Parts: sequence; C-alpha cells; structure tokens
Amino acid sequence: MSFVKCCFEAGEGHDFLDSFVQKCTDPGCCCGCCSALRPRYKRLVDNIFPASPQDGLVKSNMEKLTFYSLSSPEKLDRIGEYLFQKASRDIYRRRHGFVIIAMEAMDQLLLACHSQTLNLFVESFLKMVQKLLESTDPQLQILATQSFVRFANIEEDTPSYHRRYDFFVSKFSAMCHSNHGDTSTRDKIRLAGIQGLQGVIRKTVSDDLVENIWEAQHMDKIVPSLLYNMQSAEKYETVSCMETEARDGAEEEPPRLAECCLRELVGRASFGHIRSVLRPVLTHFDRHELWVPNDFAVHTFKIIMFSIQAQYSYSVVEALMQHVEAAGAGGAGEPRGRARVRAACAAVLSHIVAIAAADSVGPSVLEIINNLLTNLRASVARDSEKETDEKLYQEALINALGEFSDHLPDFQKIDIMMFIVNKVPSTQRGAKGTKADAMLQTILLKSLLKVGTTYKTTELSKAFPAAFLEALLRLAAAAAPPSRALLQRLLHTLLDRRHHAGLLRAPTVDYAELGLTVEKCSRQDLIFISKHGYAIFSSLYEGLQLESNTLENIETIYTTLALLCIELASEETICDIMQLILAIQQSSVSNPVLSVAQQCHLVAVSVALAALLPHVVLLPLDRLQDYIDKIIESRREEAPHLLPPLQPDYPQLGPAALPNKLPYLMIDQMAVCECLKACGVDASRLQSPSPYAAGAALALAHRHSWVEAGAAQGRDSLADIGAPPGAGLELDSAHSSPGVQRHAGSTQAAGVSLEALRRAAGGPSDAERRELERRRATLNNAFRTAPFHHLLTLTQPKYEIQEKLEEIFSSISEEPLLPASGACSPAGNTKSYQQSVPPYTKYFPELFLY
Amino acid sequence: MEDYKFLFKVVLVGNAGVGKTCLVRRFTQGLFPPGQGATIGVDFMIKTVEVDGEKVKLQIWDTAGQERFRSITQSYYRSAHALILVYDISCQPTFDCLPDWLREIEEYANNKVLRILVGNKTDREDREIPRHIGEDFAQRHGMYFLETSAKEAENVERLFMEIAVELMEQAKCKELPKYDGSLGPINGKTTSVGDTSCCLRS
Ligand SMILES: Nc1nc2c(ncn2[C@@H]2O[C@H](COP(=O)(O)OP(=O)(O)OP(=O)(O)O)[C@@H](O)[C@H]2O)c(=O)[nH]1
Ligand SMILES: [Mg+2]
Repeated sequence: MSFVKCCFEAGEGHDFLDSFVQKCTDPGCCCGCCSALRPRYKRLVDNIFPASPQDGLVKSNMEKLTFYSLSSPEKLDRIGEYLFQKASRDIYRRRHGFVIIAMEAMDQLLLACHSQTLNLFVESFLKMVQKLLESTDPQLQILATQSFVRFANIEEDTPSYHRRYDFFVSKFSAMCHSNHGDTSTRDKIRLAGIQGLQGVIRKTVSDDLVENIWEAQHMDKIVPSLLYNMQSAEKYETVSCMETEARDGAEEEPPRLAECCLRELVGRASFGHIRSVLRPVLTHFDRHELWVPNDFAVHTFKIIMFSIQAQYSYSVVEALMQHVEAAGAGGAGEPRGRARVRAACAAVLSHIVAIAAADSVGPSVLEIINNLLTNLRASVARDSEKETDEKLYQEALINALGEFSDHLPDFQKIDIMMFIVNKVPSTQRGAKGTKADAMLQTILLKSLLKVGTTYKTTELSKAFPAAFLEALLRLAAAAAPPSRALLQRLLHTLLDRRHHAGLLRAPTVDYAELGLTVEKCSRQDLIFISKHGYAIFSSLYEGLQLESNTLENIETIYTTLALLCIELASEETICDIMQLILAIQQSSVSNPVLSVAQQCHLVAVSVALAALLPHVVLLPLDRLQDYIDKIIESRREEAPHLLPPLQPDYPQLGPAALPNKLPYLMIDQMAVCECLKACGVDASRLQSPSPYAAGAALALAHRHSWVEAGAAQGRDSLADIGAPPGAGLELDSAHSSPGVQRHAGSTQAAGVSLEALRRAAGGPSDAERRELERRRATLNNAFRTAPFHHLLTLTQPKYEIQEKLEEIFSSISEEPLLPASGACSPAGNTKSYQQSVPPYTKYFPELFLY
Repeated sequence: MEDYKFLFKVVLVGNAGVGKTCLVRRFTQGLFPPGQGATIGVDFMIKTVEVDGEKVKLQIWDTAGQERFRSITQSYYRSAHALILVYDISCQPTFDCLPDWLREIEEYANNKVLRILVGNKTDREDREIPRHIGEDFAQRHGMYFLETSAKEAENVERLFMEIAVELMEQAKCKELPKYDGSLGPINGKTTSVGDTSCCLRS
C-alpha cells in the first residue's frame, strides 16, 4: 500500500489498485518514481496529474513544469517522451480522463516553449496525437485533432524534414467520412477530420520539403473528403468570398468548414499545383455522378474560381473543357448518359467562364475560344439530328462562349468574332457543302451572334474591320437559308446602336408611331459607308434575289436595311439608298427565279424602306413622303398584297395582280428624282444606270474587294479618309458598273444565274422569256452607252472565271479548325485577305488607278 | 505501450457487402456486429499482435466497396503492405468482379504488395463458389487464399496472423518492398511520425 500512497496520494479504489499491480510489471513503467533517485522532470510531470481525473490538470504544478521546461529546454524531449508513455498506458487502460490531461499538458508545453528546442518534443507530441487518433473513442480522436490543429498553427523555425504526415492525411480523410450512428457525434468527427486536413495543409503547403501535399496520394484523399462533406449541404449558397469571422457557424457545420478548407487549398495552389487539385475534383464528380443535375458542380467550380489566384483561373476552364472532351471521347456509361453529362459539364463551364474572362488576357482568351469551338465541332461531327442532349450540349457551349465574351473588352470581342468567322466552313454558292458543314455553319453563326450581342457598337468602322466585313458578306450569300438569317441577325446587333431592331422585325409602312430616334450620321460613319456601302448594299440586294429565301430571310434583310437607313441616312447617302430600293423593286419583276410570294415580298420591302426614309433623314422630305404615301394609299385599295405585312403565301392572287402588271403602283424613278430635287437633294446620281441587277454579284464582289484591297495596301486609304465624304461617294458611283448584265446562259454565273440555269433546263417560263428579252435589251443598251473599259471587262470574262474558280477551290479546301497558335491573330486574317486580291486588280490594274 | 517492433499497413478491398468491415471488427473487437452499415469512404482500425514474442502493430484500412468511393479508396492502396481482396462465397457477382479488382490493385498498389484472396461467409448454406474455384483463382494470380466466416469467427484470427507472420518474415529478410523514397525517413532517423513504411522500431 505504501507504493500506492507514494504515487497517488488519494487512492482511487479497487480497480485502480488492480491496474497498478499490472502497471508495475511493465518495464517502461514509472517504478522509478518511487525511488528517491527519480529524476526531477518525472516528478514534475507526475505532479500535474490530479488524484481524480475529474479535477483536471493541476494548474500550479503545470506552471512549475512549464517553468522547468523553459529553464532546462534540453529536458524537453524527455518530458515529451515520458508524457507519451504515461498517456499510452492510460489509453490502454481506458482511463481517458488522464489521457486528456496529458494531452492538455503537452499542448501547453508546445505553446510555451520556443522553437529551437521544440523539435524533439514535437516528435513525442505527434506520437501522442497519433496514438489518440488510433483509438476508437470519438472523444479522443477529436481531442487529438484539436491538439494537432494547435500544433499546425505554430510556426517552426526549422521544420523537421523527416517528419511525414501520411498517416494524418489518411486518418483525417477517413474521419471526414465518419458514419457514426449518432448524427451529432458523426458531425463532430467529420468536423475534426476537416480541421485536421486544414491543419496538415497549413503545416505543409508552403514547404515541399516537409511533405509535398500536392502529390496525388494526398490530394486523392483530401479533395474527395472535402467535396463529400460539401455535397451533403442542404442547399448550396455560393458567395464570392468567405470571411470566416463574418460567417457565423462556418466552423460548426461540416459542409461550410469543408468549403473554407477547399478555398484555402485552392487559394494556395501555385500554377503547377492547380491540376493536382482539379483532377480529383473532376474524378469525384464523375464517381459520385454529380454532373446531372449540376447545381453542386456549379457551386463547387464557382468556389474554385473565386478562390484561385486570378492569373490561373484560365486553367480551371481549360481543365473542365478537357474533361468535357474526354467525356465525349468515350468515358464510361451509355452514350445517352454521356451526352447528358457532357451537356451538364458544358453548362458548368458557361457559369464559370465569365469569372475567368475578367482575368484572362491575350493568348489564353483565344485559347479558350478555340477550345470551345473545337468541342463544338466535335459535337457536330457526332450529332445525329435527333439527339437532344447533344443539342443541349451545343447550346451550353455557345452560351459559354457568349458568357465569356460578354466579360471581355469590346476590342477583344471583334477579335473573337473574326476568329470565329474564319472557322465557318464556306460553302460557296454552287458548291455543295456536306450536312455537317451546314450544321457547323449554323452553330458557329449562333456563336458569332452570341458574341456579337455582347458587343456595343460605337463606330461602324470599329465594329466592321474590312476583313471581318468581307468575311460576313461572303457568308451572307453563301450559307443555307437558316444560316443566312442568323447572319443578318448578327448584322442587326452590330448595326443597331439605338435599339430599333425590335421595332423593325418585319416590314411596315407606319413609322410615325414607332418613336424612332435618329441622330445625324457621324463623319466617321460616312467615311465607312462611302468605302463599304456599295459592298454591303449589293450583298443585301443579292441576298434578296435567292430562290431559296424564306419569309424569315427577307424580313431579316429588311431589318438590316432599315437599320442601315436609320444609322446612316443623310443627305449624302439618300440617293444610294433610294437607288437600292428601286433596284429591289425592279428585281421583283426582272428576277426570273422568284416565286409569286417572293415578288410580292420584294415590292413590299421596297415600299417599306422608301416610307422609312423621310422619317430618318434629317431633311424635310415632305414631297417624297407625300409621293410614297400616295402609292401606299393606292395599293391599299387595289393591291394590298404589295404592302406589308409579308404573307408566307398569296394563294388567291390572279396573274393580273402580279407586280409586273401594275406598273402604276410602283415607285417611279423619275418621280422620286423630282421629289428629291424639290427637297433640295442632288439626285443626279439616281439617274445613272442602276448598278444592281441579277447576276451582278461577281463583278460587284470584286469591286468591293478592290476598294478594300486599296485601303489595306494603304494606297488610297489616306486619301479616302482625308477627302470629304461626298468625294468618296463620287468615287463609288463613278464605278457603278452598267456592264454587268450578262447573258443568262453564260457559264460564269454562280448564284442566281445558276438557279436560273436550272430553271431554264426545265423549259423557259413566261417570266424567263420576258427576262431574256429584257436582258438582251439592256445588253444592247450597255454596248451602246457604256464606257469602253466596261466593255473590255465584259469581253474578258475568262480571267475572271479562272480567278473565281481558284478562289472557290481554295476556300473549299478545308481550313483546319485549329490553326497553329498565333495564326488566329488579326495579322493572320490580313494575310489571307490580301491573297484574295481580286483578279481585276491583277489583270487590269490600270483600270482601277484613280 | 509503444513498444511494437513492426508496423504493417493492411488494406481490405472487395465488393460492397462481402463482409470486409465484419472481418475487421471480428479481428479487432472480437465481435460480429449486427446490422453493420455500409462503409463510407474508409474506416480505420488498429491491432497489435505478437509474433514470435515480438509485437507487431497492424494498421487496418477498411475501404468502402461502393463504386462512388472508388477514387478515394484507391488512394489508400499505395502505402499498403498487404491487400486483402474479399469476395462472398454465396454471391457469384462478387467473385466475378475479382479480375476488375486485380486490375485496380495492379494500377494503384505497390507491385510487391502481399495479396490475399478471401472467400468470406463460409457459414452460409447457399454457397455459390466452391472452395477449389477460389483456390484456383488465387493460385493463378499469385495470391494467398483463405476462406473465412466473420460470423463464426472462422479463420479470421488466422488470416491476420498469417499476414503478420509473412510480412515480418519479409521484413526480416529485408525483402520488404522499399516504398517510394519520399515515404522513408530522411537523414538517417528511424523515428518517424505518421508511420512510413515497415517501421522497424527500436
Ligand atoms: N452469414 C454471414 N454474413 C456476413 C458475414 N460477414 C458479413 N456478413 C453480413 O454481410 C453484410 C455486409 O457486411 P459488411 O461487413 O458491412 O460488408 P462490407 O464488405 O464492409 O461492405 P461495404 O462496407 O459496403 O464495402 C452484413 O449484413 C453482415 O452481417 C459472414 O461471415 N457470414
Ligand atoms: Mg464496410
């Protein structure tokens, strides 16, 4: 009994005695404590333990021990080891009260002592923590974690490089998945697990020599453990930044704490480490099938984007995109499920690209766009029409593109649009594109539209750099009908600075009510239109002549024209616009391929545009307005089918009601001239022969190319800009070429005349015969009146054909979607565009030197 | 009590419901838990045994069989000294999945890891996999083989003891695989927290 008395002043009862007996058989035991030779540090340690564990650490004795440790730091490691031995025994005997006290003592020593001496003590300390973690008692595990976290927050001067945290990562991760029967205990264990991981991360993240926490063996445990806790939240609230203090209770709920921890981890990741975090994230989402529905995925990836160092945010987008690709390439699961996962991934992408956009610069921007386009193209290649999931996926990618662009500065949007437009497969008129090409065309145009919608036009010349405009106009005629309509919509969004497109969706003649806002056309815009107006107008004109046009095509072109009128109408341009209107009206009778409905449409469109002019030109055009009103009035009575709104069909129309039978209901060129003159406008240009005529496309296309080529080569761009706007227009109209009316049977025509050819093969109709006659007449006329050089070009068609064919072939030969990096820069565009310098300039440069 | 001489890490894998957790609890706690729930992620148990008068500490990582936890469980293979692959002798599909498990082990575990095939639930009447089929499979793939019943405590003790004996043998012959250098102690110290490889304790 004296033994007992010696060690424990107040005996603890019977079972205690038993254990003591056991204890004394132990070689590592404190039998020495009974000896007078017992070392001082052991005595000091023993004294901190109370008789009964409920009494807690003996504070005054703990102070003594601390003081001793501070004054004899060389003893610290032995104190640690001794405490550990004692605790081990107590764990074995399930005397948890004493274990807790030992741990508390170690905590206090750890905090009190200074770093040089800490190293060896830490070994015992961590052995103790591990010992507690190995126990099955949740209370001890939690206690151990708390001590570990305290330790993790201490900065060691010289961390011990042989120290490994493998066990802690493994054990804390296991705790994060606790399945304890009692929910509150379960949550406590999980919380402890997360805190422990947080501690390991803090302890190791800044020093790879301690333990490279970014290695897969650790990340594959840490990341899924955090996500597993996050996903169990009842609802996901995503906030951009999380201040732990400000958010009460964050420390009490596993999902919230796990989120904090993930933020910290991601925030500390350097560029080389991002992937180490993202890979297990993506795997976790696959494994736990968290893509569909995707709210948790969106939540998580937003958190990642918010906490990642801004300059790396691009790599998250990249990783996600690659994951989407991989899912497409043949991940697990049946194809339909995969398509759905892909769509959901892409939707996540569209939620986060905006966050990336703010921090993306230069090459990474185009890299992202390029990746999105590549995925789109792959999807189109896979697409089998019916797969709605594939469609959803494409929509999601396009949305991502739009979201991304929306957050870029405007100048980059133009770059992006140029980039996309160059990816659109160009099925030239006449050349048959594959179905996939047509789909890709539509999809890329949709993307283009998405980006375009985010662009805010100020100056037209900035919205339409020459190469971009050229590419757009090329597509305007080349694509399938739905794509053509998309292209017009893109033009709408780029032209419509004052939000009129909604009002002008379909032709009308009642503008007074619409409340259009018109401003004087700026000088820059006038220069722009003097340079490119002709190309734009003739492209739109050509667009109206296509046999395959649907109502939508015609209406969208009308909207484009109406917007052009509003944005550009001025004294200087009114004649050109009027000339176009008259030409459109004329084409309704002269273009043999048009259906009756299409004829009516064109007549209605021209009167709608004519009626618009007085509302948008800041001149008193009363006479013109009266004249147009009169025509509208008469049509209302006699021929309502020649007025808007356009009908898909005009079934009860007799031959006598066709436009060509009602010349007195048409807008008359001479009358318009008179009206304009009366209003003080110089209408002389209006009297020159119309440059627009069916089949004129080729010649005109070259002409516009020439203007641009000139500008690009810097030959006359300065002169152009320097000259008053009127001069530019003069230049253009001097070129108005009458010499383009070609024989319908001639082989050189693509487009309209090709369609005409096809018709002709079926036997000439009345209309066609009339058209032939008309053409013969104008041709004769042209030879009689046209200047010599026009005739020259007319009689030299073969160069043109050859060049044209080359051009077509080179554009058909498929452009790789992924150019070598850098080829997507505007410089790249300029190059290809210079190569397409039109044949005229090559063969007859002297004709174009003005 | 920290006087063990060897520390070995044992990882249990196999389809959900084959009885991994029951085996571990039978061994470490000596009981057959009624209504044992499916394991989530990974569970951890410790048991110290004595082999030839020397203490051997077994760190046992009991993984979840469910597919969705596969990626986290795989991350525990790497540092294992022994892998116990369990199937249920009364459930053919759990046997049919063995090749898949082997492929995973091949991919994620150390190639010298000790592999033991265990057919559990021998107490059941409705056996579907005859003993020799399991034995054949184990032999073909160079694994040890044992049939157990966690319920009847049959062969459970033996399973873990043989693992301890075998690993100790290997350790003594210094055959024990050298795990990736990063795991082992640097600068010559043998004390290492967070237990690294076989941990010969002094
Ligand atoms: N008859 C019999 N039943 C057993 C035996 N071992 C386990 N079971 C039962 O099998 C079921 C699954 O056991 P667990 O130990 O949870 O299986 P597990 O492999 O850990 O499953 P997961 O944790 O989901 O991977 C439980 O209902 C057990 O009661 C056994 O030896 N005999
Ligand atoms: Mg289990």
